[in-house]
This record gives sequence, structure tokens and C-alpha cells, in this order.
Amino acid sequence: MEQLNTEPTKTTANAQKPFRMSVLVCAGTGCVSNNSFKVMEALQDEIKKHNLEKEIQIVGTGCNGFCAEGPLLVVQPDEIFYAQLKVKDIPLLVEEHFLKGRPVEKFMYTPPEGEVAIPKMSDIDFFAHQRLIALRNRGLIDPEKIDEYIGRDGYTAIAKALTEMSPAEIVQEIVDSGLRGRGGAGFPSGVKWQLCAKQDSDTKYIVCNADEGDPGAFMDRSIIESDPHSVIEGMLIGAFGMGASEGFIYIRNEYPLALERLHVAIEQAEKYGLLGENILGTNFSFKMNVVRGAGAFVCGEETALIASIEGKLGEPRPRPPYPVESGLWGKPTNINNVETWANVPIIIDRGAKWFASIGTETSKGTKVFSLVGKINNTGLLEVPMGITLRDIIYKIGGGIPNGKKFKAIQSGGPSGGCIPEDQLDLPVDYESLSEAGSMMGSGGMVVMDEDTCMVDVARYFLTFTRDESCGKCAPCREGTWQMHEILTKITEGNGTLNDLAVLEALAEVVKDTSLCGLGQTAPNPVITTLRYFRDEYLAHIEKKECQAHVCRELNTYIIHGDVCKTDGKGCGVCRRECPDKAITGEKGKAHVIDQQLCGKCGVCYDVCNFNAITIE
Amino acid sequence: MISLKINGKPIQVESGTTILQAAKQLGFEIPTLCYHPQLEPYAACRVCTVEVKNEKGNKLMTSCNSIVEDGMEVQTDSDAVAQARKINLQLLMAQAPAAEIVSEMAANYGVGDTAFLSENAEEKCILCGLCVRACEQVAGTSAIGFANRGKDRVVTTPFDVQNEACITCGSCAFVCPTGAITMDDPFGREVIHDEMTLGPDKAITVPFMQAVPNAPAIDTEACIHFKTDACGLCAEVCEPEAIDYSQKDEIEEVEVGTILLATGFKTFDASRIAKYGYGKLPNVITSLEFEKLSNASGPTGGDILMQDGSVPKSVGIIHCVGSRDDNYNKYCSKVCCMYSLKIAHLMAEKTGAEVYNFYIDMRTPGKGYEEFYERLLEEGMHLIRGRAADVSDWAMNEDEEGKLVIRAEDTLVGAVRRIPVDMVVLAVGLEPQPDAEEIRRKFNISCSSDGWFLERHPKLAPVSTFTDGVFLAGSCQGPKDIPETVAQSGAAVAEALALIDRGYVELEPNTAFIYEEECSGCKTCIPLCPFSAISFVEDKNVSEINEALCKGCGTCVAACPSGAAQQHLFTDEQIFEEIKGVLSYV
Ligand SMILES: Cc1cc2nc3c(=O)[nH]c(=O)nc-3n(C[C@H](O)[C@H](O)[C@H](O)COP(=O)(O)O)c2cc1C
Ligand code: SF4
Ligand code: SF4
Ligand code: SF4
Ligand code: FES
Ligand code: FES
Repeated sequence: MEQLNTEPTKTTANAQKPFRMSVLVCAGTGCVSNNSFKVMEALQDEIKKHNLEKEIQIVGTGCNGFCAEGPLLVVQPDEIFYAQLKVKDIPLLVEEHFLKGRPVEKFMYTPPEGEVAIPKMSDIDFFAHQRLIALRNRGLIDPEKIDEYIGRDGYTAIAKALTEMSPAEIVQEIVDSGLRGRGGAGFPSGVKWQLCAKQDSDTKYIVCNADEGDPGAFMDRSIIESDPHSVIEGMLIGAFGMGASEGFIYIRNEYPLALERLHVAIEQAEKYGLLGENILGTNFSFKMNVVRGAGAFVCGEETALIASIEGKLGEPRPRPPYPVESGLWGKPTNINNVETWANVPIIIDRGAKWFASIGTETSKGTKVFSLVGKINNTGLLEVPMGITLRDIIYKIGGGIPNGKKFKAIQSGGPSGGCIPEDQLDLPVDYESLSEAGSMMGSGGMVVMDEDTCMVDVARYFLTFTRDESCGKCAPCREGTWQMHEILTKITEGNGTLNDLAVLEALAEVVKDTSLCGLGQTAPNPVITTLRYFRDEYLAHIEKKECQAHVCRELNTYIIHGDVCKTDGKGCGVCRRECPDKAITGEKGKAHVIDQQLCGKCGVCYDVCNFNAITIE
Repeated sequence: MISLKINGKPIQVESGTTILQAAKQLGFEIPTLCYHPQLEPYAACRVCTVEVKNEKGNKLMTSCNSIVEDGMEVQTDSDAVAQARKINLQLLMAQAPAAEIVSEMAANYGVGDTAFLSENAEEKCILCGLCVRACEQVAGTSAIGFANRGKDRVVTTPFDVQNEACITCGSCAFVCPTGAITMDDPFGREVIHDEMTLGPDKAITVPFMQAVPNAPAIDTEACIHFKTDACGLCAEVCEPEAIDYSQKDEIEEVEVGTILLATGFKTFDASRIAKYGYGKLPNVITSLEFEKLSNASGPTGGDILMQDGSVPKSVGIIHCVGSRDDNYNKYCSKVCCMYSLKIAHLMAEKTGAEVYNFYIDMRTPGKGYEEFYERLLEEGMHLIRGRAADVSDWAMNEDEEGKLVIRAEDTLVGAVRRIPVDMVVLAVGLEPQPDAEEIRRKFNISCSSDGWFLERHPKLAPVSTFTDGVFLAGSCQGPKDIPETVAQSGAAVAEALALIDRGYVELEPNTAFIYEEECSGCKTCIPLCPFSAISFVEDKNVSEINEALCKGCGTCVAACPSGAAQQHLFTDEQIFEEIKGVLSYV
């Protein structure tokens, strides 16, 4: 069974296939919140009813990626893809497809602009342009069953590492693969491993950073939820390569499902002798700990994370010394992101050369992104480095909904930058993104359409970084607060050109002098919007105008008397809803807004059913 | 050694040096706010930013924590640096407008006012964390820390309540560059009179100016290191590495031929006389506390201040506190009249206050003393003859409101007077040391009924004791002023030297001894011997007399039930023989 663009396995899980069909129900967080467990239950009941239990296997999988269409269900071996299923659809589905072999078209996915449903998953644009390496097992295995992971070549890499390779060879393999940190900074992982391996210390630690505090990002969570063993195996290989015997997975407490799956996975791995003493009968031993983070964004920063694991106040400290020199309890500590670790087993398995053949000159392999915002196909995707932003947005993402115009894409989480239309042909890699003023970050992507005000966007992201600043260093603590104040002033129509100059100077200093990555990148949304959308700032300041009509203080709501009178017959809804009693008029007659009284809440505009109110 | 260039000047420094330290060696000043040489760098204020050129290009870095690297080129005042400092200082000015150090620093960069919005004009704290680090790294207590994130960050104690862990060392207030942390008395006192003891102000001091050896010593009760194991700053800064915290008090045995007792006196505890209000009413102090207050190297720099920090306008001095009093000490402490007059004089001179002295009799014998008294009379000091009855804060009229009222019978006028004053000084008398009795026993000497050590003869042997080789000097023998003490000490030393020169002591010939074979080991004699000359020999189970200590009083001889104790020249046999001899003439 060849799976999509997923890496084929050498031994196939379904070598002797006992079931006629496998039904893969997405049990990722998105689908679960869309009731996928109920759907799964209904499915089990229905299958029992038809006595199909021996023929049809139901598997709950991790996030499939196409979360926007959840709850999702994929039927193998034909790869039929069902979207947005409801409990009441199940009887029909089972009867038609599973019993009679006729896939049900009306439950299949139909692209927004298309008319016909697409039955096969790999024919859907969202999947067709992806390449799954870190997510190689997503949607294919039950993450709570170690056997399924092993069935897809799981734990062969650690076996190979332990029996056929020396620690130095492992580290060299990672160096040669060109793998770079997926947690944000993109530091070459092999180089970091080399530094750690070189340290002369009886105790060393490795850490998996699963703090993932960026709003809207769920890459790391999905990896752990859909394939926890890939992370564990990656860490085992790293530990052997660097000479560590204890590891920590720092995961945020708000990820209950991921936590649960991690615990199950660790327990199973221990039972199989893959964790603990004398792994696979060798004299390599490794202890795995799970530490729950309290949820502060800054705790994802490596030095703050170390302080947090040590039970101290989670605030960053200056580097050097780097964690590889002095980390947890002063011992050499190698920290990598979840996705970085998940890439390790397949690199060892398939070789550095293979991995290095994917991607661009400086950025190898693939990257997982979470695509959200004004885009048709929101979800989780993994693409080869070097793909253009345009391909991500239009081919995979399916473009902008409701025929609106694209305005910008923000990459790299809350402290990434906003990239405009004319830069869309940029290849996605570490260097190009930072040249454009943004960054790879951990892989969040937010698409914005013409209804977005870029000043407001900058303000929105600054609200996040301002609130998440730990407050240790002055430029970040005070600078983000002041930038936010200035941006608010501008969005409220009180900004001056001097404010703009102060904002620009401040943004540069905060970026250049903050202590940790949070402060150093927090000004990015401001700097890039000033670089690419300066006219919007000027319109807010000089003309007191917000083209996207997002900044309500700048809006003037006007009732078009003729429309109101003829179409709406002076219905008076706006008059009743207006909290400031700024609207006067009688039934059947045109209404008017007293601009002096209007508090600019926009309720009238929202409630008018006759489009009689416009914003100037 | 690392070679680098700072502002174009080459320098070689040891590896591990920070840029800040290296710049200092070259004489380049870099402003800092969150740095203190004795604390770990924190790199939070970012004003020490410098521009560094290395193979990767130009970069702004904080100099307080960044370690030098070979080939580095540092600019401590480039345009980029100035711009960064200007903006960061303005951010801090906006955050803590009341922190003067920040605006002063900003003024150096031509910044007069901040471009940013200020929320709290009173704010002083710039969150530099010096206090938090001092508390953790110096005091070793972590009584204070940071709470909240971002703009809400504050320095506080856990749960914002007074922290028991605080050892009130004041390290935090000491390092705070902005004055945001102060050490305040819980009762709002500016000057705390009860703390004006003669003890040291600091945990490590030369105990007093003329101390021998003239070396500092650690007061382990006050030292942070002995409380929390932390600090250790003195050892860090002591170049000859003379500080050794592991040193213990040692007992050394020295064999000597003569001993001079000069154990001094203690002052009378004024709180024993409840009616004078000492320890209860504010601004009632003892003469010794006045001395500390008036000392130029004392806590107020020599200013006479009341607890609220103001200068008293009227002061009462009560003489004979604990002296010449049937309830306490009957004797006259001898020195109080004169020192009270001195205090009155100093008080008037330093504060301009009206000073009232309450005395029973004015005793001013001695050279120049009476003249001093005369002078004070001329200066217009109020001298009221009569023992003060009490001190209270109970006002009977407007004039007495908020004052201390001294009630006394003015025996010269023949009326009871109420005198309202701001401050009362109690002229406390002198008393024997509390352990005088113990010392007395140890040295086999006697005490007078008041507890002062007794000289062998008040006129003929005023510095000797009943124990040969033990001499007395100073007020352990009785109240004395300084000239008298010095004179007496001279005499005692001379006697001691004479004895040393002679090299031996003459013993009485009639010492007692014990017949070992007769002694039953009943130990009756041991506690009876007034000179502690008898000891018990465990292995032989008999008592033994040290003839060098025995004065031949015969007490043991009379008391011994088995007749084992005998006295030379007076053995039973000798006495019987003598009786026989006498009787033979009858
Ligand atoms: C404010 C801040 C938040 C961060 N949050 C995360 C995070 O949630 N997950 C993560 O893997 N790395 C995060 N990082 C990056 C880490 O500091 C560190 O670079 C990373 O864990 C190293 O792993 P990698 O080399 O595999 O990317 C964050 C950095 C900063 C400055
Ligand atoms: S940059 Fe922000 S988050 Fe980082 S240490 Fe400074 S205040 Fe804390
Ligand atoms: S006074 Fe208290 S809070 Fe301040 S440093 Fe000393 S122990 Fe810490
Ligand atoms: S109280 Fe003083 S020392 Fe403490 S953080 Fe504030 S400014 Fe710094
Ligand atoms: S959770 Fe089901 S597709 Fe993401
Ligand atoms: S003195 Fe260096 S950052 Fe504050």
C-alpha cells in the first residue's frame, strides 16, 4: 500500500492483511473537538450491527492535517477521504461503502471552487503537494500502539545506531544531513550535537522542547499526538550519539491528549526494553522524564526552559554559556524541538545523503507548518523546504475564501513578520524568510486578506508579546508595552508622524538590545508592516482612515436614507440596537446617525439587513 | 591572555574577563544600572550595551556579562550604542520617573525628557534585580523576588506579606541604585534609641579604637555568613586573605605568677525603676545611650536626635539612678554627678535645649570639678535639688501635651514641681559585673557586701587581695572615674612587678595538712575551706591540702571528724605538749 507522499516503508505493516478494509478515523485534537469520538463510536456500533468486525478495522489516528474539514475518515486501501462527517451519516456510509462497496459521494470533500467531489485523498490539492517526513506516520497508525509504529519501521533506526554505528558516526550523520533546528532559530542540529558530544562530563542531558506557546501553532502537538514514538526514538539516538543517559520532554500542560499519548508511548517503550536499562540488550541505558510546563510562552526559550525544569523562575538568562556547555543543573544539555527529534530516526534509517537531497542549499528536508487565517484549507502541512509561499497558499491552502484578495502572510509565530503579495514567490527557507523580515519560527502561518488592517495586526501581535514578556530586561518589558501603546494610539486615530518616528526607532532598539529571542523578535510585526504597508500607517495618521475598516474609532457610519426608506422601510433595528442612542428616525422613514453621539461600535452596520449603512 | 581592542586601543586581559572589566582597565566608563561587582551579572537593564565587531559583523552586546574574545573590536560609545542607550534610558525614565539615577544618566546623552508614556510618576524601581540578587547571593535568604510577568513585574516578598525569612540585613536597600527599597523601622522611628548600645555597628569591626591587637573581628551574632552561610564578601575583598570563618574561640592556658583583676563594672539597668519609664516611654535614654548618640562616629553622626528624628528642645537629666537608693544600691556611684554635668553641657551646646538636672547632692570633689560645676551654673543650667519621683507622658495642661513630664520635689524651693521635657537622660549608676561572685571564687578573694572585690586593706594594701599574687585595678574594686582608675592600675602593676622581681611568695608557716592514713575521705573539709585549698584525690580516696593556697585559718582542722587534718605548729600533739608544759609549772 503506497501511502501518498509519505515515505514508503521497507517492511509493510499490512504484510499479511487480516482485514478487508481499514478505517482511519482522525483522533487529533481538531477532529476530537468536532466530535470524532462520537463518530467513531457510531461507526463501531454500526459495524457490529452488520457483523463486519472481522473484516473491517477501525483505527483512531493522530491529526491528519486537514483539520478544517474534520471530523475526517480515510478508508484504506482505496484511500477514500470523507470529510465533515456527522453521527447521523454513519449508517448510510457503512451500508453503502462498507457493505455494498459504493463510496458515498456526498460525504466526500469538494473543493471550495470545484463542483465535483474528490474521492481519493492523494488527489486532493491539500495533500498532493506535501511531503511527509516528520509526519511520516500521521493518520496511518494508532499512536497508542507501539506495534503499529514498529510495523512501519519504527525503532529500526535506534537498532541500527546501537549495533552498527559509533556515537561519533551518528553525530556526523546528523551534521551531514544538514538538519537545522525546527524550534525557531534554525541552528544546525549536528553542530549542536557535536558541541554537546565534545563536552567532558560524566552527566549529560537531552531535552525535547514541546512547549509550543505560539498562538495558533499545533505542529509539535500533532507530532506527539500522531506519532509519539518517533520523538522518543529520535531522543534515544541523540542520547547515544552525545553520551547522555537521561532526557526530559518539556511539554505544556494544556496539551492533555499529547501528554496522555506520550505517557502511553513511554510505558510501552519501557515494556519493550526500548527505554530504561540495557536497551535492546546493549549496555546503553536511558531514562525518560516528562515535565509539564506551566504555559508561559517564554518558557519555550531554552534557558528559561532549563530554569523552569530546575524549578526556578522561568526567565531567560544571557548566553553564553550555552546549554550545551552548562544547562540543566550546570551539566551539558542538548535541547531540540519536537520536530527536530522526529526527523532524526529517518535520517539515521535512510542516510544523511537522502535527507540532504531534499530542500534548498541551506535548508534541508521538510518543514511542518500550521496554516490558519483567511485561507480555505486550514490545517497542518509538511512541505519540502524551498517550496514557494504562493504554492503553500494557493495550491495547498486552496486560496483565499469568498473571493477576497490576499494581503499578507505572517510566518514564524507572533514575532514573525508580515510578507506581502510581491514576495510570494520566495522559496520557504530560513534565509529567505529572514531576509524578508520574517522568520521560519516554529512554523505558524497566518494568512490575511484585504479586510485586514496591518496596523491592527501589528498591534494584535504586540499584545501577545507584551503580555508574554517575562519582564526581566528593560527593552522588551518596557519597549513592547510602549510599542503597543503607540500602535493603539494610531489605530484610535490619535497618532502623529512623530509617533511613527519614535515607534520605528524603538522597534530597532528593542530588536537589537533585548536579552532573549522573545524581545529580539517581538518588533518584527511592526518592522515588517512599516516596511511593506507604510501607506496604511500614514492613512491612519494623516487621513484618520483605516482602509480595511477594522479600526472602529476611524470609521464613520452613514445611513443611506433612500436605501433605508425604500428597501428597509425604516425598520428601526439599528435605532433600537444603538447603545449610544445616536440613531433617530421613524418607522417607514429614513434613519440618521448623529455623528456627535456615535460611539463607533459598529452595531448598526452589523444588524442592518438591507445594506443601508456603509462605512466611510 | 586575550587580545582585543576597545575604542581602537589594544589591550590584553585574562580570559574570562568581561568587556566591562576590560574597558575599565583602559579607563573607559560604561554606564551600568543592574551591575554590581559582587553579584552575578543579570544583564537586564541593557544600558551597558556596547558595539562589538567580530567575524560575523557588528553587534550590540551587553558588556557587563559578555566575555572578551580574541580579536574583538569593541566600541563603547558608537552612534548605535548611544542610540540604544538613549532609548533604553528613556524607557526606564518612563517606567520609573522617580529614579533619579536614570534621568541623570540620560542627561549625559542629552536626553532631558522621555518620549514615552509614563504611568506612575512616583515609581522608583527599575527592576534591575540587584536587590533580589543581593538577597539571594549575599544574604542567602531569597526573602524577596520577582512576581508577575512583563509590565506587571514587581519586586516583592512571596504573597506580598512580610517575609519571616528576611534577616533584616539591609543588603537589598544597600545595593538599590534608585532608593526604591529602604529599611524602615516598623514603628516609623528615625532613630532607634534602644539600639544605641556599645556593640559594633557592623558585623566586622575593630572592636574599639584602642583595641589590642588592632585588628577587625567578626561579630558572629550579626554576621550574615554565620546566619545563612552566604555572603562572605569580606573574605572576597580581603587581599591578604586573612579572613577565616572556621576560626573558633580557643582556650589557652598560661602559667603566671601574678594576676591583675580589672574586670570593670556594669551600668545599672534603668528599666528596674519602672517609674522612670525607661524602655516604655520613647525618648527616655540612659547616659550610655547618650554617649553613643553624641559620638561623631555613632549612628547619627553625633547629632542628638529624638526617635522621630527631631532635635529636643528641653531635656531632663536625672541623677543617682540606681545609686544612693535603699531599694537598689545604697552606695554613691561617684562618677554620675560629674558625667551628668558633662552631658548637660554637651546637650546645651549641641541642641540649644533647656536642660534640667535633678540631683540629690552635687558631689564634685576632684581637681577642677567644682569649677566645672560653677561654670554650668553660670551658663544658666537648671539644677533642681531633689530626687525625681517619676517620668510620665500624662499631660495635665497644654504645655505638657506630647511631652515627658518629670515630677520632683524641689527641696530648695520646698515644692513639688512638674517639668515637661522632650527627652530624659537617666544617669545610671555603676554596679559590679554579674559574674563578680564567680570570679571571686575562682581567685579566692573576697567581696564587699555590695559585691565589689575587696582589697586586702583599704589604706595599707589597697591593690592587693587576700590571695597573694592577685591584684585589683579599676572599678571592679568600687566605682571610680578614669583618672583614679589609671592611677590605681599603675599601683597594681607596680606591686605585681615587685612580686615578679622577687620571684617567690612567702607563706604562712602554720599551714594545715592531712594525715593520709587517718583521712576517711568524708570530704567535710573541702567546702569549708574559705581559700579553696583542699581538693580530693580520687585514686587514694583522701583529701589533700595545697599548702601554697592554705592561709592557716584552721577551719578544716577543727571540722575534721577523724582528726586527720592538722596544722603545722598546732598539731594536737604539740598543743597537748604545750598544755602539759604549762601545767607542769602549776
Ligand atoms: C520566546 C521563545 C519561545 C520559544 N518557544 C519555543 C517552543 O515553544 N518550542 C521550541 O521548540 N523552541 C522554542 N524556542 C526556541 C528554543 O529556545 C530553542 O532554540 C529550541 O528549543 C532549540 O531546538 P532546535 O534547535 O531543535 O530548534 C523559543 C525561543 C524563544 C526565544
Ligand atoms: S527579551 Fe523579554 S522575555 Fe526575553 S528576557 Fe527580556 S523581558 Fe524576558
Ligand atoms: S533585608 Fe531582608 S529582603 Fe533585604 S536582602 Fe536582607 S534578607 Fe533579603
Ligand atoms: S528595588 Fe531597587 S534594587 Fe530592587 S529591582 Fe528595584 S531598583 Fe533594583
Ligand atoms: S485534528 Fe483531524 S485533521 Fe487535524
Ligand atoms: S549593567 Fe549590563 S545589562 Fe544592566
